[in-house]
Amino acid sequence: MVKDKSTWRVRDALFAMGVAAVMAAAPATAQTTQRPSDPHAEWDLEEQPGYQPSASEERLSAQWERQPVFFRTNEPAGTIVVNTAERYLYVVQGNNRAMRYGIGVGREGFQWKGLVTIVRKQEWPDWRPPPEMIQRQPYLPRFMAGGPGNPMGARALYLGGTVYRIHGTNQPWTIGSSVSSGCFRLVNADVIDLYERIPVGTRVVVRQAAEL
Amino acid sequence: MPASQIAAFTRTAALAAGLAGAALALAAPAAAQTLKAVKDRGTLNCGISQGVLGFSTIDDKGVASGFDVDFCRAVAAAVLGDPTKVKFTPLSTTDRFTALKSGQIDILSRNSTWTMSRETELGLAFPVVTYFDGQGFLLPKSRNVLSAVELTGSKVCVQAGTTTDDNLADYFSANGMKFEAVKVANAAEALAAYKAGTCNVLSSDISQLYGERLKLDVPTDHLVLPDVISKEPLAPVVRNDDFQWFTVVKWVGFALINAEEAGITSRNLPDAMKSTKPDVRRLVGQDGNFGQQIGLSRDWAAAVIKAVGNYAEMFERNLGTQSRLGIPRGVNQNWLTGGILFAPPIR
Repeated sequence: MVKDKSTWRVRDALFAMGVAAVMAAAPATAQTTQRPSDPHAEWDLEEQPGYQPSASEERLSAQWERQPVFFRTNEPAGTIVVNTAERYLYVVQGNNRAMRYGIGVGREGFQWKGLVTIVRKQEWPDWRPPPEMIQRQPYLPRFMAGGPGNPMGARALYLGGTVYRIHGTNQPWTIGSSVSSGCFRLVNADVIDLYERIPVGTRVVVRQAAEL
Repeated sequence: MPASQIAAFTRTAALAAGLAGAALALAAPAAAQTLKAVKDRGTLNCGISQGVLGFSTIDDKGVASGFDVDFCRAVAAAVLGDPTKVKFTPLSTTDRFTALKSGQIDILSRNSTWTMSRETELGLAFPVVTYFDGQGFLLPKSRNVLSAVELTGSKVCVQAGTTTDDNLADYFSANGMKFEAVKVANAAEALAAYKAGTCNVLSSDISQLYGERLKLDVPTDHLVLPDVISKEPLAPVVRNDDFQWFTVVKWVGFALINAEEAGITSRNLPDAMKSTKPDVRRLVGQDGNFGQQIGLSRDWAAAVIKAVGNYAEMFERNLGTQSRLGIPRGVNQNWLTGGILFAPPIR
C-alpha cells in the first residue's frame, strides 16, 4: 500500500514538474482567462494543477472573507446552508447568526438543491480530472496526489449520495464567481476552518434561486 | 360656561370647515397629480444625498450611482419606460424635506429614516422600506469578539447628542454591561479617535460603519458585528397628498422584492417573459392588467427589472458583494431566506 502510494507520488511529482515548466513559460499572471464582466456569467477557467497561489492571492476581499453574519433560519445549529445565487456558504450557529464563507460555485453546484449530509472528510484530497475536463485540457494529469498546488485544495467534504463535494482550491481568485467546473470551492484557509468545525453527518442544505 | 361652549362650538365649526377644505383638496386633482406631471415633463425629479457611499454618489462626469439612485431609476423605468430620464438633485439633510414639500422634487431617495413624526408633522409619506439599517459596532478583529454581548468594558466612540448615543447607553444597560462612551462631535472625529486607539469600538448605523471601515489602513483587520441594536428603516419619501403617486412608488419597491423571490433577474428577463408560472407572468405583465390600474404600462415591472435588476442585484451591485462596501444582506434578505423583506403579492 505504502509503496503503491509513493509510486503515485513520484508520478505526481513528474506531472507537477511538467506543469511547472508550462507555468514558467506562461506569463506571470496567475489567472488563465479574464474574469467575465457580468459577475453572474460563468467563468470558463482552465485548471492549473501545480500552481501555488501567493499569500496575497489567498487573501480574500472584505465581502468574501469568512465572517459572522446575521442569519435567521429554522435549520438547527451546525447545519451548513449553501446559497449558490449569493456565492456564500453558512454554518448555522443559532441565535440568528451564522459563520459565512465566500465560495465559488462550479457548474455542477447549480444543478441540484435540497438536503444531503457530509459522509466523509479528507485532508489534501487527490484529484482525478473528469473526462470532459481532460477533453478541454488534454495535457492535464490523469491523477494528482493531494498537496499544495492541487486543484482540490487543502480539504474536501463529501456530500452523501452525490458525486459532489465542498473543497478547497488553488485558484483563490475564483471565490465569488461562477466557474466552469467543480461544485463548491472555498479558499484553503476557509476550507480548513470549515473542516475543523464540521463533523461527518452534518446536514447540508443547498439553495438555488427560484426557477422561472 | 356659555362662553366656553361658544368657543368649543366655534372650534368645532372651524375644524369642520377645515376638514371640508381638506376633503376638497383631496378631491381636487390639480394639486396632487405627480404621476401626470412626471409623464408630461418626461423626467423624474429625484432628490438624493450630497454623497453617501453606496447609496448616492456623483462621479466626476456627473453620473449618479448608488442604491438610492437606482431606486429613482427604477421609478423612472416604471413611469416613463426609461431609467435615464431622471434629474438628480443632491440635497442636504436640512433641505431634503422642504425640497419635496415645495415640489422641487417628485421623490426623495436619500437614506432617510421612516419615523412617525416625519409622517405626521411634516406631511410626508414613506411608501416602502428599501433598506433596514440599524446601529451596530465596528471593532478590531484582534479583539476576537464575535458578538455584541461580549463588549463589556469597551471604550465606545459615538457622536454626542445623537440617538446613537442614547441607543448605546440603553443597549449596554439592558444587557448589564459596563462601557465607557468616548463622545465626539462628528463622524470624522469618531473615526480619528478609533484610529488613534482612544476607543476600541466605533458605534454608528451599520451602513455607515462599512463606509468608515474603508477609510482605515487595513479595512479587513476590522469587523462589523452582525448585531443590530436600533431600527433605522430607510425609505423613499413622497408628499402625503397624492395617494396615486404613493402607490406607484410603493409597488416599484414591492416589484423589486417580488422579482428576487420569483427568481427574475435583469439577465433572465427574456426567459421570465416566456414563463408559465402565474406569479412570474403577472409580475412581468404577461397576465393581468396590474400596471394600467395605477396609470402605468402593462410591463412596468419588467421595465424596472430590466433597468436595475431585482432587489438582490440592486443590493449586491451598490452595497454588497460587487461594491467595495461588502455589506452582508443581514435582515435585508428576502423573508424566504430569513430576512424581513416581505412584499404583498401582485395579483
